[in-house]
Amino acid sequence: MSKAGRFLKSFFLVDILRGLAVTLRYYFGRKVTIQYPEKVQPVPERFKGILRLYKYAEGKPLCIACKACQRACGTNCFDIEGVRDPETRAMRPVKYDWKLDRCTFCGLCVEACPTTPKAIRFSEEFRMATADKSRLLFHMEDMYLTGPELQKYLRGGSKP
Amino acid sequence: MTQSGFIFDVLIPMGKIIAVILYPMIMTIIMIWLERRVVALMQRRLGPNRVGFQGILQPFADAFKLFFKEDIMQTQADRLLFRVAPVMVMFSSLLAFCFVPLGEPIRIGTYRLTLWIAESPVGLLLVLGLSSISVFGVIFGGWASNSKYPLMGALRSVVQILSYEIPIGLTVLTVIFFARSIDLVEIVNHQLHSGIWFGFMLPVSFVVFWISAIAETNRAPFDLPEAESELVAGYHTEYSGMKFAFFYIAEYAHMVLVSSLVVIMFFGGWLAPFPNVPAFAFLKVVPGFVWYLIKIMFFLYLYVWIRATLPRYRFDELIRLAWKWLIPLSLVNFIVVAVIRYVL
Repeated sequence: MSKAGRFLKSFFLVDILRGLAVTLRYYFGRKVTIQYPEKVQPVPERFKGILRLYKYAEGKPLCIACKACQRACGTNCFDIEGVRDPETRAMRPVKYDWKLDRCTFCGLCVEACPTTPKAIRFSEEFRMATADKSRLLFHMEDMYLTGPELQKYLRGGSKP
Repeated sequence: MTQSGFIFDVLIPMGKIIAVILYPMIMTIIMIWLERRVVALMQRRLGPNRVGFQGILQPFADAFKLFFKEDIMQTQADRLLFRVAPVMVMFSSLLAFCFVPLGEPIRIGTYRLTLWIAESPVGLLLVLGLSSISVFGVIFGGWASNSKYPLMGALRSVVQILSYEIPIGLTVLTVIFFARSIDLVEIVNHQLHSGIWFGFMLPVSFVVFWISAIAETNRAPFDLPEAESELVAGYHTEYSGMKFAFFYIAEYAHMVLVSSLVVIMFFGGWLAPFPNVPAFAFLKVVPGFVWYLIKIMFFLYLYVWIRATLPRYRFDELIRLAWKWLIPLSLVNFIVVAVIRYVL
C-alpha cells in the first residue's frame, strides 16, 4: 500500500473499527465454556482415570487372582489373595486391596493383566479428592464402584 | 418555616445529595458486572453467571470481600498521604457529579425540580478541573506507598494525563465555540435549538475527545499506569481493603463522568433522537433522563468493548500518539472550527 493509503487507513481508524467488529462477532458467537458441575467435558480415549476392576456382563468377576498386577506394580499398591473355587477349579480373589495414595498411574498393572478382557483397567473417573485419608485404601468391593457410589465412598461419612 | 418551604429547602436538596452519591456507586456496580460479562463474552467465555441472576450480584460479593479485608499499611509508608490519596481521588470524582445534570428539569405543579445540584455558568470548566484533581490522589498514593512499582505507575499516570489534557481542552473549546456557553445545561439546550447534535457537526472533535478521555481515565488500551503485566497493579499496588475500593470506585465513577460529558457535549444529553423532527415526536414519550442513561450506557459499553479489543500501547507510542497526532489534529480542528464559526 502506498504511504498516503497507509496514512488514510490509520487516520480513519480502519484497523481499530475492524478489530471492534471482530470482538462483536465473538460476542454473539458460540461460547466454549463448559459449566463444570452440571456438565463434564468428555475425557480422551486413553485417559488414565482411577483404576477399577471389571466384571463379565453376567456379573462374574474377571479377576483370576494371578497377582500379575501385584508383581508388576512399582510402588506396591496391591495386596491380593485368592482361593480356588472347588466347583469350577478357577482362582477367585478374596482380598484385593489397592492404595490410591501410592499409585502413580503408570499403567504397568493394566499391561500385565492376562485376562481378556482385562480385569483391571483405567476408568474415566478423574474426581479422586477426599478429606479422609483412610478412604484412599480400596478393598475389593470398593474396586468395582463407579460414579456417584465412588464419590460417596471417597467422601466417607463427612458429606452426603 | 412552612411545610412546603421545609420540603423545598431541606428535603429536596438532601435527596439530590444522596442521589449524587448513590448514582456513581450504582453505576460502578453495574459497570463491574458489565465489564466482566462483556469481556468474557468477547473472549468466548461466559464470565460470572452464578451469583444471582446472570451473576448480577457478583459485584456485591466483591464489595463484601473488600469491606472485611484487612487494611494494611506498610511501616515505611508516608502515613498521612497514604490515607489522603484514596479520599482525594474519590472526592474529586464525586464532587464533579454535582455539576453534571442527570436530566432535564421536571415540572411538578409550579415547582421546577432540577436534576442537578448546582448549575454553574462555568460547569464544563469545573468538571474538567475537578476530574484532573484526581491525578494528585494518584501521585500521592504512588509516592506515599514508598515502593517502586506504585511510584512508576503514578509517574506514568501524571505524564499521560498531562499529555492528554491538551487535546481534551482543545476539543472542548470547539464545542464551546458552537454553544457559545460553558454551561453544561446551555450546551444541551443549544443542541435542542440547532436541531443537530455536536457529535455529527464536529466528528473530529468527538473522536479526539473520546481517545483522550480513554487515556485520561487510564483505561485500556491506555492503561499503562496500572499495567498488570509490568507494574503489578500500578499506583494502588500497596492498597488493600476499602482504601483500594475507593481507587476502584473512583476509576469507574470517572468513566461514568467522562461518558456523561461526551453525551452532553456531543450527543445531546437528555434529548430524544431527532428532537426537532415532528415525525419522531413519539420518541419524547420516554423521559429525558432515560435517553440520557441509555446514551451513557452505550459509551460505557464502548469503553469495555475497546478494552476487550485492543492491546495495550507501549509508553513511547502513547506519548507519540498524543504529541504527534492528537495535539496537531486538534489544533487544526480548533482553527478550522474557529474560522467557520466566525464566518457563520
